[in-house]
Amino acid sequence: MASDSNAAVLAARPVGAPAPGSAMKRFARRRSTIAFLMTLPLIAVIAGLVAWPAGYAIYLATLNRRMTAFIGLENFDILLDNETFRAVIWQSCFFAITAVLLKALIGFWLAHMLHHIPAKGQRKWRGMLLVPWVIPPALSTLGWWWMFEPSYSSINFLINAIGFPSIPWLGEPWWARVSVIIVNVWYGAPFFMIMYLAALKSVPDQLYEAAAIDGATGWQGLRHITLPMMRNIISITVLFSLIVTFANYDIVRVLTNGGPRDLTHVFASYAFQVGVLSGNIPRGAAVSLFMFPLLAFIAYFVLKGVNQRNKEMA
Amino acid sequence: MTTNGTTRRTVLRSGAGVAAAGVLGAPMVHAQGTAGSLRFAFWDHWVPGGNDALKLLCAQWGERNRVTVALDFINTTGNQLQLTAAAQAQSRSGHDGISLTPWDVGAYADKLEPVDDVIGRLVAKYGAINPVAEFLAKHGGKWLGVPATSGTQNKPACVRYDLMLEHAGIDVRAMWPASNTRGPGADTWTWDTFLVAAEKCHKAGFPFGLPMGQFTDAVDWVGALFLSYGAHITDASGKPTVRGNAKLKTAIEYAVRLSRFLPNDVWAWDDASNNRALISGRSALVFNPPSAWAVAKRDAPQVAEKCWTIPMPSGPEGRFIAYLPWTTGIWNFGRNKTAAKEMLEFLSQRESAEATTIKSGGYDIPPFASMSDFKVWETEGPPVGSVFNYPLKPHHQAQPSIAFSPAPAELASQMYIQALNTKVIARVAQGGETVDSAMAWLEREINNMRRG
Amino acid sequence: MSTTTARPSDMLPGLGRKIGSLRQERRWALVTAYVSLVIAAVVMLAPPVYMLLTSLKTSAEVADLAGNPWMVHHPTLENYWAIIGNPMFRGFFYNSIIVTVAVVAVTMVISVLAAFALARMKFFGSQVLATGVFLTYLVPDTLLFIPLYQIVGGLGLLNSIWGLVLVYPTLTVPFCTWIMIGYFASIPKELDEAALIDGANWMQMLTKIFIPVALPGIIAATIFAFTVSWAAFVYPTAFITQPDSMPLTIGVVSQLIRGDTFAWGQLMAGALIAALPPVVVYAFLMDYYIAGLTAGATKG
Repeated sequence: MASDSNAAVLAARPVGAPAPGSAMKRFARRRSTIAFLMTLPLIAVIAGLVAWPAGYAIYLATLNRRMTAFIGLENFDILLDNETFRAVIWQSCFFAITAVLLKALIGFWLAHMLHHIPAKGQRKWRGMLLVPWVIPPALSTLGWWWMFEPSYSSINFLINAIGFPSIPWLGEPWWARVSVIIVNVWYGAPFFMIMYLAALKSVPDQLYEAAAIDGATGWQGLRHITLPMMRNIISITVLFSLIVTFANYDIVRVLTNGGPRDLTHVFASYAFQVGVLSGNIPRGAAVSLFMFPLLAFIAYFVLKGVNQRNKEMA
Repeated sequence: MTTNGTTRRTVLRSGAGVAAAGVLGAPMVHAQGTAGSLRFAFWDHWVPGGNDALKLLCAQWGERNRVTVALDFINTTGNQLQLTAAAQAQSRSGHDGISLTPWDVGAYADKLEPVDDVIGRLVAKYGAINPVAEFLAKHGGKWLGVPATSGTQNKPACVRYDLMLEHAGIDVRAMWPASNTRGPGADTWTWDTFLVAAEKCHKAGFPFGLPMGQFTDAVDWVGALFLSYGAHITDASGKPTVRGNAKLKTAIEYAVRLSRFLPNDVWAWDDASNNRALISGRSALVFNPPSAWAVAKRDAPQVAEKCWTIPMPSGPEGRFIAYLPWTTGIWNFGRNKTAAKEMLEFLSQRESAEATTIKSGGYDIPPFASMSDFKVWETEGPPVGSVFNYPLKPHHQAQPSIAFSPAPAELASQMYIQALNTKVIARVAQGGETVDSAMAWLEREINNMRRG
Repeated sequence: MSTTTARPSDMLPGLGRKIGSLRQERRWALVTAYVSLVIAAVVMLAPPVYMLLTSLKTSAEVADLAGNPWMVHHPTLENYWAIIGNPMFRGFFYNSIIVTVAVVAVTMVISVLAAFALARMKFFGSQVLATGVFLTYLVPDTLLFIPLYQIVGGLGLLNSIWGLVLVYPTLTVPFCTWIMIGYFASIPKELDEAALIDGANWMQMLTKIFIPVALPGIIAATIFAFTVSWAAFVYPTAFITQPDSMPLTIGVVSQLIRGDTFAWGQLMAGALIAALPPVVVYAFLMDYYIAGLTAGATKG
């Protein structure tokens, strides 16, 4: 929940500080010191609790299993040599991309539908649809797990009731992947909906009215007005959600534990299994570090999008 | 509602044993003492009230020796206990002693205090410790932990005897009666018989609930199956013995055939799925300690009273019973190691072990063969005698087993966590590979684990 | 309504037809909208509703496969009483409250101060720091928890709720700082200048002008910090293994799930009680929060 929402703010925030007004010049000398003191706690949090541990993780990844000797990049080599891990790379990407696209599409659709109904009913519907996003995910995933449970599945009960055979939700690799994606989409789509609804509301009605008079259909309005107006917020929410979904841990852990046959593992859950459960902390750290280049890649585009947007705003 | 109340009382009586249950609600036990303090982390027992015995015993011991004893019961849900051990080993701080999963003793060998003196005295008193517990706890010729009673479990077959008789024509109660004798047909209780029974029960709509996923229940029973076919995937040095291993191939082929008669999602079952399959009344057989049956007594008494525990079937190389032993280790960076040893010695005494077993409703298995005669296994019910054959007894002509032995601990621990044995089966049965290509995968996987 | 639409059609017959079809299109759009929303609401609410139903069943009824799992035949509150009556569970609740309150307080102080400095006072490295705040999100907590364990352990804060208070700010501070930078940056510079002319110092400027003006943002950031602290899962899983220091989420998941036996009714009751505070906060403050989150998004 936390990080999904970051996208929103990023969408409009300049990276870096705006130039101060000219009237503040006399404060210039003292200002630096005061500002530094004010940001000191923030620096402490970032340096002490993020940067340093991250660097330490890199150091760990270069050690052998017992953490007694430096082995360089050996852990990375071993991982790439392992077909289970290569599958994990593929699965993480597949999982993140599919889930995020579905979240975005469903969120966009629902936002559109909400936008269409009379304003006084919107609040009620919005409140209802936001429920999945409000419940702590570790707890709601438990509920899903119970609904997927092989012997007692209440979803299979409904499926049987309409005459279809039970689905091995968590037992068959593809269904298991689908289940993980379903839960992730269920949890994340409401957030996209909220973001896109706000963005839709900011598109001036006159644009649509003008288009309607010009004879544009609803679809054309969507394509030529809505999407261009929302391009930036869509790309930023999508990119940011990619990161969050990519690093997701609890859903896979609670629902499938990576199974069957490791075919639902993602980076985080596999790192946990290799690093902590199998007692190979350096290799686990190496697995996590594989996320870095991909995340950096995404981060680059997010930063670019943010900066571009700021330029447009200016 | 009234039936519900009755069942819960029944469970309390049978599950919590003879002593008054629920006296100690708090997770910690404090006995004021002057001879220092001890803090232990034990496995948080799955059987309701299963922790009470340790709480009582440790409080008792602490009072007698004037040591303040604090106990934490840590769950294995989300592998919290394993995480705790890993973190403490790494930071060299934490509890004085901790419950370790089978292969973790070897994995933390250099951080555990040898307990040979304790074991020596115990063995002199009670006879040999079973070979699997010894194999797991003894490294480099030294005992690095005391095999525990609390939480240690066998995973024999818990059978719905009514369904088994009706659909497979096997009377398990006659075969394995509640006495130290083999009944008629006990000699025919082999994996081949088992396969036929599995097929028949599957056809009747009550498939055996045998997990094939990555949790301990699955790994343990498949491990026992492999051993009874003489199938080892590595030698004692950790070198893979997969290529051209005819016994392994036979075992895999058997498991693949068997899996056709199991529910189609066993590949993702966790440790509780088989219990739920039994409790729901949809399954004729599971491999599990009596906790499944104990919960059935609470939630589905009509199922529980039709359950009967019997040994696992035998294979060409003998009968092996899946065994999941806990070992209590003492960190060598702890401050009060002498007291810790004394307390573990006290907990291993016959009286203590029996108290533990009683409180857990017969779930706990002491590591000494001489202690397989506790009364609780005869008296638990309904049906009375249901768990008589739960501990390994001489007439079973069986051995305890741990998956992936005789591999070295560090490798075995990884293979265990990664569930290589169930995965190789799944690759064939679910993934559609040939047995040979799955075995080639297995060899590559082991070799990869051995690197670095 | 009808008169206004009728009038242009009197003048331009062609447009009238168009408006007629437009109306029909709108009606269809409305039907589609409601159908979609009903389906979505059913899917979105099914899991919590099913959790609620399960929590109202006895263990025996949960275990009984004969009936419809979506029906409760003998509703009972015994699971709730069992959970509420459990001192351990109440302990989880207190722990969650203490941790959350402390983290929210710490987060808001750090974020507001830093955001103010970053939004209004350009200084050496401020650009780098702002980017750093952003990059902080990209380090997943699953990567950090092993090294963090060393740090927390070195401070002797393992199995202590204060260890959580120490590390949770990594989850809350960056985002809250972002929210506040945005809100502060949107405050007109004329206000600062007026304050400076009146002789206010930086602290007075912050407390007298920025905080009151940016109050909606502060509320949004507070709700965010609250939600994150309440729902945090990875860190407590790693750092807390003792029931008496567990916050609610991990307490429910670890103490009510027993490896091979499940008390589903109690589990679901516990999960729902644990989920209640954020739900209540949203029910009352949803508009603030959404406005805070989306204000930035809609500006451009």
